[in-house]
Amino acid sequence: MQPTLTRRAALGGAAALALASCGGGDPPPAAGPRAGSGAGLLSSIVALEHAAIAAWAAIGEVLTGEGRGYAREIRAREVANAERMAALVRELGGTPPKNRPAAEYERLFPRLESEADALHFARDLEERLVRAYLEGLRLLPDAEQRGAAADIAAAQAEDLAVVHVLAGEPAAPQPFVTGAS
Amino acid sequence: MPTRRDFLLASLAGNQGLGQLLELERRLLAAYHVALARDAIEPELGRLLLSHEREHVRGLEQALGRGRPRTSVLVPTTGIDFASRRAFARSALELERVAVDTYREVLTSFHDDTLLQPLGSIMACGAQHEVALRQVLGEHLLERN
Repeated sequence: MQPTLTRRAALGGAAALALASCGGGDPPPAAGPRAGSGAGLLSSIVALEHAAIAAWAAIGEVLTGEGRGYAREIRAREVANAERMAALVRELGGTPPKNRPAAEYERLFPRLESEADALHFARDLEERLVRAYLEGLRLLPDAEQRGAAADIAAAQAEDLAVVHVLAGEPAAPQPFVTGAS
Repeated sequence: MPTRRDFLLASLAGNQGLGQLLELERRLLAAYHVALARDAIEPELGRLLLSHEREHVRGLEQALGRGRPRTSVLVPTTGIDFASRRAFARSALELERVAVDTYREVLTSFHDDTLLQPLGSIMACGAQHEVALRQVLGEHLLERN
Protein backbone atom coordinates (compact mmCIF):
# COMPACT_ATOMS: atom_id res chain seq x y z
CA MET A 1 0.00 0.00 0.00
CA GLN A 2 1.26 3.49 -0.77
CA PRO A 3 2.26 5.66 2.20
CA THR A 4 -0.28 8.38 1.23
CA LEU A 5 -3.15 5.94 1.43
CA THR A 6 -1.91 4.81 4.79
CA ARG A 7 -1.89 8.38 6.10
CA ARG A 8 -5.39 9.04 4.83
CA ALA A 9 -6.68 5.78 6.22
CA ALA A 10 -5.09 6.73 9.52
CA LEU A 11 -7.00 10.01 9.59
CA GLY A 12 -10.26 8.26 8.77
CA GLY A 13 -9.62 5.69 11.48
CA ALA A 14 -8.84 8.36 14.04
CA ALA A 15 -11.97 10.33 13.18
CA ALA A 16 -14.08 7.18 13.34
CA LEU A 17 -12.60 6.45 16.73
CA ALA A 18 -13.58 9.90 17.92
CA LEU A 19 -17.09 9.49 16.53
CA ALA A 20 -17.46 6.18 18.32
CA SER A 21 -16.85 8.02 21.56
CA CYS A 22 -20.08 9.99 21.24
CA GLY A 23 -22.47 7.10 21.57
CA GLY A 24 -21.14 3.62 21.93
CA GLY A 25 -23.62 1.26 23.46
CA ASP A 26 -25.53 3.93 25.32
CA PRO A 27 -29.27 4.16 24.69
CA PRO A 28 -30.32 6.96 22.34
CA PRO A 29 -31.21 10.24 24.08
CA ALA A 30 -34.90 10.92 24.68
CA ALA A 31 -34.59 14.42 23.20
CA GLY A 32 -32.05 16.11 20.99
CA PRO A 33 -31.51 18.00 17.76
CA ARG A 34 -34.13 17.55 15.09
CA ALA A 35 -33.27 15.76 11.87
CA GLY A 36 -31.76 18.10 9.30
CA SER A 37 -30.57 20.59 11.92
CA GLY A 38 -26.92 20.11 10.96
CA ALA A 39 -26.04 18.57 14.35
CA GLY A 40 -24.87 15.29 12.81
CA LEU A 41 -22.47 16.95 10.39
CA LEU A 42 -21.23 19.38 13.04
CA SER A 43 -20.57 16.45 15.39
CA SER A 44 -18.58 14.61 12.74
CA ILE A 45 -16.48 17.75 12.24
CA VAL A 46 -15.88 17.98 16.01
CA ALA A 47 -14.73 14.36 15.94
CA LEU A 48 -12.36 15.08 13.06
CA GLU A 49 -11.01 18.12 14.93
CA HIS A 50 -10.29 15.95 18.01
CA ALA A 51 -8.24 13.66 15.80
CA ALA A 52 -6.53 16.70 14.24
CA ILE A 53 -5.56 18.07 17.66
CA ALA A 54 -3.86 14.78 18.53
CA ALA A 55 -2.28 14.62 15.08
CA TRP A 56 -0.78 18.12 15.33
CA ALA A 57 0.71 17.22 18.72
CA ALA A 58 2.38 14.21 17.08
CA ILE A 59 3.53 16.31 14.10
CA GLY A 60 4.97 18.94 16.44
CA GLU A 61 7.06 16.29 18.20
CA VAL A 62 8.87 15.57 14.95
CA LEU A 63 9.23 19.07 13.52
CA THR A 64 11.98 21.38 14.76
CA GLY A 65 12.55 25.13 14.95
CA GLU A 66 10.00 27.29 13.14
CA GLY A 67 8.02 24.22 12.08
CA ARG A 68 7.50 23.13 15.67
CA GLY A 69 6.30 26.62 16.59
CA TYR A 70 3.75 26.61 13.79
CA ALA A 71 2.63 23.09 14.75
CA ARG A 72 1.88 24.30 18.27
CA GLU A 73 0.01 27.32 16.92
CA ILE A 74 -2.04 25.28 14.45
CA ARG A 75 -2.88 22.75 17.16
CA ALA A 76 -4.21 25.61 19.32
CA ARG A 77 -6.29 26.82 16.35
CA GLU A 78 -7.77 23.31 15.98
CA VAL A 79 -8.69 23.34 19.68
CA ALA A 80 -10.56 26.63 19.12
CA ASN A 81 -12.25 25.20 16.01
CA ALA A 82 -13.39 22.11 17.90
CA GLU A 83 -14.83 24.31 20.65
CA ARG A 84 -16.64 26.54 18.15
CA MET A 85 -18.20 23.56 16.35
CA ALA A 86 -19.08 21.87 19.65
CA ALA A 87 -20.86 25.05 20.79
CA LEU A 88 -23.01 24.94 17.65
CA VAL A 89 -23.96 21.33 18.41
CA ARG A 90 -24.95 22.35 21.95
CA GLU A 91 -27.05 25.25 20.61
CA LEU A 92 -29.06 22.64 18.73
CA GLY A 93 -29.63 20.64 21.91
CA GLY A 94 -27.05 18.01 21.03
CA THR A 95 -24.05 16.59 22.83
CA PRO A 96 -20.82 16.94 20.87
CA PRO A 97 -18.44 13.97 20.76
CA LYS A 98 -15.73 13.95 23.41
CA ASN A 99 -12.10 13.44 22.65
CA ARG A 100 -10.31 10.21 23.51
CA PRO A 101 -6.95 9.87 25.22
CA ALA A 102 -4.18 10.95 22.83
CA ALA A 103 -2.65 7.47 22.83
CA GLU A 104 -5.80 6.03 21.27
CA TYR A 105 -5.43 8.34 18.26
CA GLU A 106 -1.69 7.99 18.07
CA ARG A 107 -1.78 4.24 17.57
CA LEU A 108 -3.75 4.89 14.38
CA PHE A 109 -1.31 7.48 13.00
CA PRO A 110 1.43 6.56 10.55
CA ARG A 111 4.98 6.33 11.87
CA LEU A 112 6.59 9.77 11.57
CA GLU A 113 10.30 9.13 11.24
CA SER A 114 11.37 12.41 9.65
CA GLU A 115 10.25 15.99 9.11
CA ALA A 116 9.22 15.02 5.58
CA ASP A 117 6.93 12.29 6.99
CA ALA A 118 5.43 14.78 9.43
CA LEU A 119 4.78 17.37 6.72
CA HIS A 120 3.20 14.77 4.40
CA PHE A 121 0.89 13.75 7.24
CA ALA A 122 0.15 17.40 8.03
CA ARG A 123 -0.74 18.09 4.40
CA ASP A 124 -3.17 15.15 4.23
CA LEU A 125 -4.68 16.20 7.54
CA GLU A 126 -5.21 19.83 6.50
CA GLU A 127 -6.61 18.84 3.11
CA ARG A 128 -9.13 16.63 4.83
CA LEU A 129 -10.09 19.47 7.18
CA VAL A 130 -10.48 21.96 4.29
CA ARG A 131 -12.67 19.42 2.51
CA ALA A 132 -14.82 18.88 5.60
CA TYR A 133 -15.51 22.59 6.08
CA LEU A 134 -16.19 23.21 2.38
CA GLU A 135 -18.70 20.34 2.46
CA GLY A 136 -20.16 21.98 5.55
CA LEU A 137 -20.73 25.16 3.53
CA ARG A 138 -22.94 23.20 1.16
CA LEU A 139 -24.71 20.97 3.65
CA LEU A 140 -25.24 23.02 6.81
CA PRO A 141 -28.75 24.50 6.86
CA ASP A 142 -28.26 27.59 9.01
CA ALA A 143 -26.53 30.89 8.14
CA GLU A 144 -24.62 30.99 11.46
CA GLN A 145 -23.36 27.45 10.89
CA ARG A 146 -22.29 28.27 7.32
CA GLY A 147 -20.59 31.45 8.53
CA ALA A 148 -18.57 29.44 11.03
CA ALA A 149 -17.72 26.85 8.37
CA ALA A 150 -16.56 29.61 5.98
CA ASP A 151 -14.39 31.25 8.67
CA ILE A 152 -12.74 27.98 9.58
CA ALA A 153 -12.36 26.81 5.96
CA ALA A 154 -10.33 29.98 5.29
CA ALA A 155 -8.26 29.38 8.43
CA GLN A 156 -7.63 25.74 7.46
CA ALA A 157 -6.51 26.89 4.02
CA GLU A 158 -4.00 29.16 5.75
CA ASP A 159 -2.77 26.23 7.86
CA LEU A 160 -2.38 24.17 4.68
CA ALA A 161 -0.44 27.04 3.08
CA VAL A 162 1.93 27.09 6.05
CA VAL A 163 2.52 23.35 5.60
CA HIS A 164 3.36 24.03 1.93
CA VAL A 165 5.83 26.74 2.96
CA LEU A 166 7.47 24.52 5.58
CA ALA A 167 7.89 21.87 2.87
CA GLY A 168 9.64 24.43 0.66
CA GLU A 169 6.75 24.80 -1.78
CA PRO A 170 4.64 27.79 -2.86
CA ALA A 171 2.08 28.76 -0.21
CA ALA A 172 -0.74 28.79 -2.79
CA PRO A 173 -0.02 26.22 -5.48
CA GLN A 174 -3.55 25.87 -6.93
CA PRO A 175 -6.28 28.37 -7.96
CA PHE A 176 -9.00 26.32 -6.28
CA VAL A 177 -8.36 24.87 -2.84
CA THR A 178 -10.71 21.89 -2.64
CA GLY A 179 -8.90 19.72 -0.13
CA ALA A 180 -8.21 17.08 -2.79
CA SER A 181 -4.66 17.02 -4.12
CA MET B 1 -43.38 28.31 2.73
CA PRO B 2 -41.16 30.46 0.47
CA THR B 3 -42.99 32.05 -2.43
CA ARG B 4 -41.73 32.53 -6.00
CA ARG B 5 -41.04 36.15 -5.05
CA ASP B 6 -38.78 34.96 -2.20
CA PHE B 7 -36.82 32.83 -4.66
CA LEU B 8 -36.52 35.74 -7.09
CA LEU B 9 -35.28 38.08 -4.35
CA ALA B 10 -32.78 35.47 -3.13
CA SER B 11 -31.56 35.00 -6.70
CA LEU B 12 -31.15 38.76 -7.14
CA ALA B 13 -29.22 39.04 -3.86
CA GLY B 14 -27.06 36.10 -4.93
CA ASN B 15 -26.23 37.77 -8.24
CA GLN B 16 -25.36 41.01 -6.44
CA GLY B 17 -23.00 39.08 -4.16
CA LEU B 18 -21.36 37.36 -7.13
CA GLY B 19 -21.05 40.71 -8.91
CA GLN B 20 -19.31 42.17 -5.88
CA LEU B 21 -16.89 39.23 -5.78
CA LEU B 22 -16.22 39.57 -9.51
CA GLU B 23 -15.27 43.23 -9.08
CA LEU B 24 -12.86 42.34 -6.28
CA GLU B 25 -11.28 39.54 -8.30
CA ARG B 26 -10.91 41.81 -11.33
CA ARG B 27 -9.17 44.37 -9.13
CA LEU B 28 -6.77 41.70 -7.90
CA LEU B 29 -6.19 40.54 -11.47
CA ALA B 30 -5.37 44.09 -12.54
CA ALA B 31 -3.16 44.59 -9.48
CA TYR B 32 -0.96 41.56 -10.19
CA HIS B 33 -0.90 42.38 -13.91
CA VAL B 34 0.41 45.91 -13.29
CA ALA B 35 2.75 44.76 -10.51
CA LEU B 36 4.41 42.31 -12.90
CA ALA B 37 4.75 45.00 -15.56
CA ARG B 38 6.37 47.39 -13.04
CA ASP B 39 8.53 44.73 -11.35
CA ALA B 40 6.65 45.34 -8.10
CA ILE B 41 6.43 41.60 -7.40
CA GLU B 42 8.89 38.74 -7.79
CA PRO B 43 8.03 37.44 -11.29
CA GLU B 44 7.48 33.76 -10.48
CA LEU B 45 5.12 34.55 -7.61
CA GLY B 46 3.42 37.30 -9.61
CA ARG B 47 2.73 34.99 -12.54
CA LEU B 48 1.36 32.31 -10.21
CA LEU B 49 -1.01 34.65 -8.37
CA LEU B 50 -2.06 36.30 -11.64
CA SER B 51 -2.93 32.92 -13.13
CA HIS B 52 -5.07 32.13 -10.09
CA GLU B 53 -6.94 35.44 -10.34
CA ARG B 54 -7.58 34.78 -14.01
CA GLU B 55 -9.20 31.46 -13.07
CA HIS B 56 -11.27 33.10 -10.34
CA VAL B 57 -12.55 35.80 -12.69
CA ARG B 58 -13.35 33.21 -15.33
CA GLY B 59 -15.26 31.09 -12.81
CA LEU B 60 -17.27 34.02 -11.47
CA GLU B 61 -18.13 35.26 -14.96
CA GLN B 62 -19.41 31.81 -15.85
CA ALA B 63 -21.40 31.66 -12.61
CA LEU B 64 -23.01 34.96 -13.51
CA GLY B 65 -23.88 33.59 -16.93
CA ARG B 66 -22.05 36.31 -18.75
CA GLY B 67 -21.32 34.12 -21.73
CA ARG B 68 -17.78 34.25 -23.00
CA PRO B 69 -15.36 35.05 -20.17
CA ARG B 70 -13.80 38.52 -20.42
CA THR B 71 -10.74 37.96 -18.27
CA SER B 72 -8.82 40.49 -20.35
CA VAL B 73 -10.94 43.31 -18.88
CA LEU B 74 -8.71 45.23 -16.48
CA VAL B 75 -10.15 47.61 -13.93
CA PRO B 76 -8.36 50.71 -12.56
CA THR B 77 -5.71 50.11 -9.92
CA THR B 78 -6.25 53.38 -8.08
CA GLY B 79 -5.04 53.25 -4.49
CA ILE B 80 -2.71 50.28 -4.98
CA ASP B 81 0.91 51.03 -4.13
CA PHE B 82 3.36 49.83 -6.78
CA ALA B 83 6.31 51.90 -5.48
CA SER B 84 8.28 48.85 -4.30
CA ARG B 85 7.83 45.10 -3.93
CA ARG B 86 7.25 45.54 -0.23
CA ALA B 87 4.73 48.32 -0.71
CA PHE B 88 2.85 46.29 -3.29
CA ALA B 89 2.82 43.18 -1.08
CA ARG B 90 1.24 45.28 1.68
CA SER B 91 -1.41 46.66 -0.71
CA ALA B 92 -2.13 43.24 -2.21
CA LEU B 93 -2.41 41.67 1.24
CA GLU B 94 -5.08 44.21 2.15
CA LEU B 95 -6.96 43.55 -1.10
CA GLU B 96 -6.83 39.78 -0.56
CA ARG B 97 -8.06 40.22 3.01
CA VAL B 98 -11.05 42.28 1.87
CA ALA B 99 -11.83 39.69 -0.81
CA VAL B 100 -11.73 36.76 1.64
CA ASP B 101 -13.94 38.64 4.11
CA THR B 102 -16.41 39.40 1.32
CA TYR B 103 -16.51 35.75 0.23
CA ARG B 104 -17.27 34.85 3.82
CA GLU B 105 -20.20 37.28 3.93
CA VAL B 106 -21.57 36.19 0.58
CA LEU B 107 -21.25 32.49 1.42
CA THR B 108 -23.20 32.92 4.64
CA SER B 109 -26.28 34.23 2.84
CA PHE B 110 -25.91 32.55 -0.56
CA HIS B 111 -28.55 30.01 -1.57
CA ASP B 112 -27.24 28.36 -4.73
CA ASP B 113 -26.04 24.99 -3.43
CA THR B 114 -24.13 24.25 -6.62
CA LEU B 115 -21.89 27.30 -6.16
CA LEU B 116 -21.18 27.18 -2.43
CA GLN B 117 -18.24 24.78 -2.64
CA PRO B 118 -16.62 26.38 -5.72
CA LEU B 119 -16.88 29.82 -4.10
CA GLY B 120 -15.49 28.37 -0.89
CA SER B 121 -12.53 26.94 -2.80
CA ILE B 122 -11.76 30.38 -4.27
CA MET B 123 -12.04 31.96 -0.82
CA ALA B 124 -9.62 29.33 0.51
CA CYS B 125 -7.18 30.19 -2.29
CA GLY B 126 -7.42 33.86 -1.30
CA ALA B 127 -6.51 32.91 2.27
CA GLN B 128 -3.44 31.10 0.90
CA HIS B 129 -2.51 34.18 -1.14
CA GLU B 130 -2.48 36.10 2.14
CA VAL B 131 0.08 33.62 3.50
CA ALA B 132 2.20 34.00 0.35
CA LEU B 133 2.17 37.78 0.72
CA ARG B 134 3.01 37.66 4.45
CA GLN B 135 5.94 35.46 3.47
CA VAL B 136 7.11 38.19 1.05
CA LEU B 137 6.81 40.73 3.86
CA GLY B 138 8.75 38.49 6.25
CA GLU B 139 5.81 38.45 8.65
CA HIS B 140 4.36 35.68 10.76
CA LEU B 141 2.42 33.49 8.32
CA LEU B 142 -0.78 32.92 10.29
CA GLU B 143 -3.40 35.46 11.11
CA ARG B 144 -6.95 34.32 10.47
CA ASN B 145 -9.02 32.52 13.18
